[in-house]
Amino acid sequence: MDLELRTVEGKGRKVLYVGGEIDAHTAPQLKDEIIPLTEEQETKVIVDLTNVNYIDSTGLGVFIGALKSAKNHNSKLELTGLNDRIKRLFSITGLDEVMNIDEDKREEAK
Amino acid sequence: MGIQSNVEVQTEWGIVSARQAGRNLAKEAGFSSVDQARIATAISELARNIYLYANNGEIIIEFLENENVSPPRRGIKITARDEGPGIDNIRNAMEDGYTTSGGLGAGLPGVKRLMDEFDIDSRSGVGTEITAIKWLR
Amino acid sequence: MADTFSSMQNQYKTILKKYIEDKNEVVLYQAQQFSKKILENQVSPEETVSFHLEAIDEFFPKLPEGVRDSFELLIEVMMGFGMAYREHQSLRDKQKELEAEINVAASMQQTLLPANIPEVESLDIGVISMPATKMSGDYYHFIKDENDCIGLAIADIIGKGIPAALCMSMIKYAMDSLPEQRLQPGALLENLNRVVERNVAANMFITMMYGSYDPRIHQFYYSGAGHEPGFYYNYAEDKFEELYAKGLALGIKRETKFREYHKRVEPGDFIVLLSDGVTECRTVDGFIEREEIISLIRKYQHMTAQEIVDKVFYELERLQHFQLKDDFSLIILRRKV
Repeated sequence: MDLELRTVEGKGRKVLYVGGEIDAHTAPQLKDEIIPLTEEQETKVIVDLTNVNYIDSTGLGVFIGALKSAKNHNSKLELTGLNDRIKRLFSITGLDEVMNIDEDKREEAK
Repeated sequence: MGIQSNVEVQTEWGIVSARQAGRNLAKEAGFSSVDQARIATAISELARNIYLYANNGEIIIEFLENENVSPPRRGIKITARDEGPGIDNIRNAMEDGYTTSGGLGAGLPGVKRLMDEFDIDSRSGVGTEITAIKWLR
Repeated sequence: MADTFSSMQNQYKTILKKYIEDKNEVVLYQAQQFSKKILENQVSPEETVSFHLEAIDEFFPKLPEGVRDSFELLIEVMMGFGMAYREHQSLRDKQKELEAEINVAASMQQTLLPANIPEVESLDIGVISMPATKMSGDYYHFIKDENDCIGLAIADIIGKGIPAALCMSMIKYAMDSLPEQRLQPGALLENLNRVVERNVAANMFITMMYGSYDPRIHQFYYSGAGHEPGFYYNYAEDKFEELYAKGLALGIKRETKFREYHKRVEPGDFIVLLSDGVTECRTVDGFIEREEIISLIRKYQHMTAQEIVDKVFYELERLQHFQLKDDFSLIILRRKV
């Protein structure tokens, strides 16, 4: 199954809308899309996961790679629209402490 | 060494002529109908590669007799020679599943398995020479 | 081969003769058995056609004009099948070689895991670890010091199969090289994290739970690096609690601190550590929830620790129709007295 990926560029910020399941099969697609975004200097990359219902550990790895890449290019990475299961995954792995996760967006969307 | 046939392969007719020449020689040498079909198929595949990728080349079919071994061995040797673009990565071409002549051609590994001996030499931009031998059992 | 070949030809002739003389199902059944033999002896399709041609040539010397020729055409048409058949054989041989190679690697990997579970009088320990494929990305580890203190670790490497397995061997050797902090979970994870961070790709990470048990005072100390929470079973209250240690997964940030937790363990209490293959088990009906794992453990909790992990594994495997989607590990450590 393919991921839906759509990037909307604004001034100094880019929003990547993702839809589908991020697992070992689809993670490479996400990686190819997200890493170039974080490689631009001083950009804010916002990843909207409202339409993602599942992420496995390989998918999580893509976000870690993106986080490291953003740091190396003085950019910022922010995640938004996480469902409860995904939020739990980020919390258990401790990633919520090193990653910018916007808590409120999901409730607005609901 | 006895009879030898050289067939130019420029058109599909060339492929047919090469097959025919191979089959005739195989029959004369005493190969079974299955082996005749195998030799013709191997020639067909090699000729098709020339036709599709090299435009210009020839198939040489010769009768072999090796009297240095006992009992003496007889067989047929096919040489496919062209001045085409050559094969960049021979190792890839010799791998199963990699078909150089599109979906239809069984490719070189198939030819190798149809015959008893197989040798390939190819240089990028210079051309390709493939020899294959089938011994009479 | 040549001998077998002509004997195959004769067998075909015999079967065909019988069938022509007396058409019946028995002979057809023999023919079906013979077709298996053809595959076993690697007789190709065009050769099979030639068996037939030679046989009818012998049985019917006066074949109508053209019948013999028609078989030559059929042989030609079968050549494509013959080539595909031989390619299939060669690919199958290659696959066998590859499998043999992986089997060797898998048994090498087994030697990285502890050969046996340490024995301590007051404790009952059970462990199971099953790879989804042949190589595992789960790692577990036990150690016992001179005071009968036990150190145990469970780790899950992102992904599965060979890449995860390669990473697992790094974890094993890194842990072996850090012996002095073995029984201090926080310090151990801190050092391990530094090694991992230096040695893995940007999108790779490892989660781990490390615990140490001191049977002299029955205290369990533990720290976690982003690992799936385990369970703690309280015998007096007959209740399962979550055993969670907050901490960042290994390989993400070079300088990371890990909080150390501790718990007093009473007789009958037990600790359950698991890899996330356990709670990320997906079935057709959705995820297997943690509550379901608890009820499975409850069902078998009267048994020994090893029996519990074996039974729970079997049931989870059955729920996934015996096709594990992820590596699976489960450890139970119970205080007996």
